[in-house]
Amino acid sequence: MRTGARAIVVGLALALTACGGSAPGASSSNSYQGKTIHLGAILSLTGAGGVYGPSSQKGMQLAVDKINGSGGVNGAQLALDVKDDNSDKAQSAQVAQTLIQQGQLLSLLGPTLSNSAVAVHPLAESFKIPILAVSTTGIHIVPDCNYPKTDPCKYVFRDSLGEESAIPADIKTYADQAHPKTGVLMVANDDKFSSDGGKIVQNTVSQYGIQLLDTVQFSKTTADFATPVTKAVQKHPDVIFITSLGGIPAKIMIEARKQGFTGQFLGGNGFNTAVVSKQAGADGKGAQSGSAWYINNTFASNAGFVQAYRAKFSSDPDQFAAQGYAAILILADAAKRANLTFSDVAGDRTKLRDAMESVNIDTPLGRFQFTSDHDVKQTIWIIQMDGNGGFSLVKSVTPS
Amino acid sequence: MTQQILNAIFIGSIYALFAVGYTLVFGVLDVLNLAHSAVFMLGAVITYSLVALHGMPFLPAAVIAVLVCGLLGLLIEFVALRPLRRRNAPPISALISTIGLALIFVAIVEQATPGSFFSWLWQDGANSVRFPAGTVPNPTFHVLGLTIEGTKLLILITAVVLMLVLGYVIRFTQMGRALRAVAENRRAATLLGIQVDRVFASTLFLSSALGGLAGLLFGLAISDISPYIGRDQVELKGLAVIVLGGMGSIPGAVLGGYLLGLIEVLAFVRFGSNVEAGVAFAALFLVLVLRPQGLFGAQLRERL
Repeated sequence: MRTGARAIVVGLALALTACGGSAPGASSSNSYQGKTIHLGAILSLTGAGGVYGPSSQKGMQLAVDKINGSGGVNGAQLALDVKDDNSDKAQSAQVAQTLIQQGQLLSLLGPTLSNSAVAVHPLAESFKIPILAVSTTGIHIVPDCNYPKTDPCKYVFRDSLGEESAIPADIKTYADQAHPKTGVLMVANDDKFSSDGGKIVQNTVSQYGIQLLDTVQFSKTTADFATPVTKAVQKHPDVIFITSLGGIPAKIMIEARKQGFTGQFLGGNGFNTAVVSKQAGADGKGAQSGSAWYINNTFASNAGFVQAYRAKFSSDPDQFAAQGYAAILILADAAKRANLTFSDVAGDRTKLRDAMESVNIDTPLGRFQFTSDHDVKQTIWIIQMDGNGGFSLVKSVTPS
Repeated sequence: MTQQILNAIFIGSIYALFAVGYTLVFGVLDVLNLAHSAVFMLGAVITYSLVALHGMPFLPAAVIAVLVCGLLGLLIEFVALRPLRRRNAPPISALISTIGLALIFVAIVEQATPGSFFSWLWQDGANSVRFPAGTVPNPTFHVLGLTIEGTKLLILITAVVLMLVLGYVIRFTQMGRALRAVAENRRAATLLGIQVDRVFASTLFLSSALGGLAGLLFGLAISDISPYIGRDQVELKGLAVIVLGGMGSIPGAVLGGYLLGLIEVLAFVRFGSNVEAGVAFAALFLVLVLRPQGLFGAQLRERL
């Protein structure tokens, strides 16, 4: 009975890959059967990045369960090992080292924060192990992970929309509609993600006729935002730009509204999670940002994801869950086509890397491909906080 | 600028309240209780859990949290301090054992699992939360172009009243006299019939209750409740405050708290965040060099 069932599965897999036609993995389906593809994720489940990491983890786990439940990757099962880096750069590098030293991982995912990626990505590159960033949006993540060295990193990919695309699209959308004259930038200066976002805002605003009255820098460990917010609000700007992460954007919005600010909040990826929208509550209503994903998109690969996520976790997914989910689909698709041997890990890693470059699949983010720089090229969804812990769509921007 | 000075007074009140408990233990026991910042965090976290998860009104929740923090003070005394004192261990051992307790307190909150008392931490992945809107009425007053929040005013008043009460207790009551006697000379106090162990226990209770209160007021006004607020926000600053004011001096801790708040805010406004912490600690350094006894060390011949 068992061998019969197995024969059917193998036959089915062969038939499926045969349908795929040119799939290079077709002849190797048998060697996948009963094997395990080991993946390791370095995520910030605690600390400042704790608002993002758990979402990524849930999205990844959902995809792993879905793929394993429907026959795995050519019959091989996915195994995901998630490690917490406590949002700390040094700890992130340590965790990556530990995962790599286990010796059997085919690919890494993460880390959650750009700040940690600076340490982890070059490490993965030096060990020639593919790493797929799922939430890092800073500058110099791909392709030049060894910044300031400019030679491209061959093993580093990301499926997370960079702030260099998202923030200008957001500012343009708002400027076209409301024609603001002045702005103040509030930026955390001790975190790569935040300070990168700040630089992008500074470089963008003048194109749209917005005068930056002041840049208020603060530390990400600031607790009482009364002082920095007073400094910003007293300039009476039309817009407050916030580039920071964790609960900080919400805290700034709450404090600014208390101090009588009635203008617009514009920001980056730090806005794009339901936790932040929920924390900001009514004070965050209308706060606008560019996002890689929008929950109410109705195309099948998103609708199916949202439905499955709600069924499993009884809560709504956010962008980070969608990117985590997409990352597993991307790796599974690449693994399927990579002709893995399961005996030569180093060789398999390189094969996987090569296959990743030609990924072209449907994900909750939309149709997904990598650019030649291993970055993502996709539609940008301009969204607003709705004041009740959710978001509404303003418009979609297709990058030129 | 006036608004910024107001901001400084509010944050200074929290520093002062926290530092008073810190310095009390140091004055009486000659030990730095580094678990004080963890108790500060628990004050906020316990109140939040009772209010947001168990639907309790704010006031009883706050009272329970302050009492629990006081009892944790007793735990610190019985677990981390008394056994070492019995063995005549050097003060550094006590300091290290309180660091250990602090780590345990933080880990208990951090490792909360679904369904447990601190499960909010786990629930939505956000490990910084704030009290639900409307927990405490928070009218915002706009006077002469200044924004004054109800909760912050409440903090200022609570802090000032409590510090005055504490000052009265220490100066004019039987218990206060016992505290000062033990602080002055432990052996002489014992010979006079003061039960030193009991004085230590009540000092820890009082100090930790104040620490917990400072924590819950911080959580209320600053909208930041997480397992790390003690470590990140007050641990080192509290130390700076009591050194600034003179180790073991309560008026010193109060004035040191407001002074640190003011220095921080002015440094931020004038120079920006890069130097904010630097300026505060440079002031501390200056005080240590020029007046090692602290700003108020000399005038106060006796401790507390």
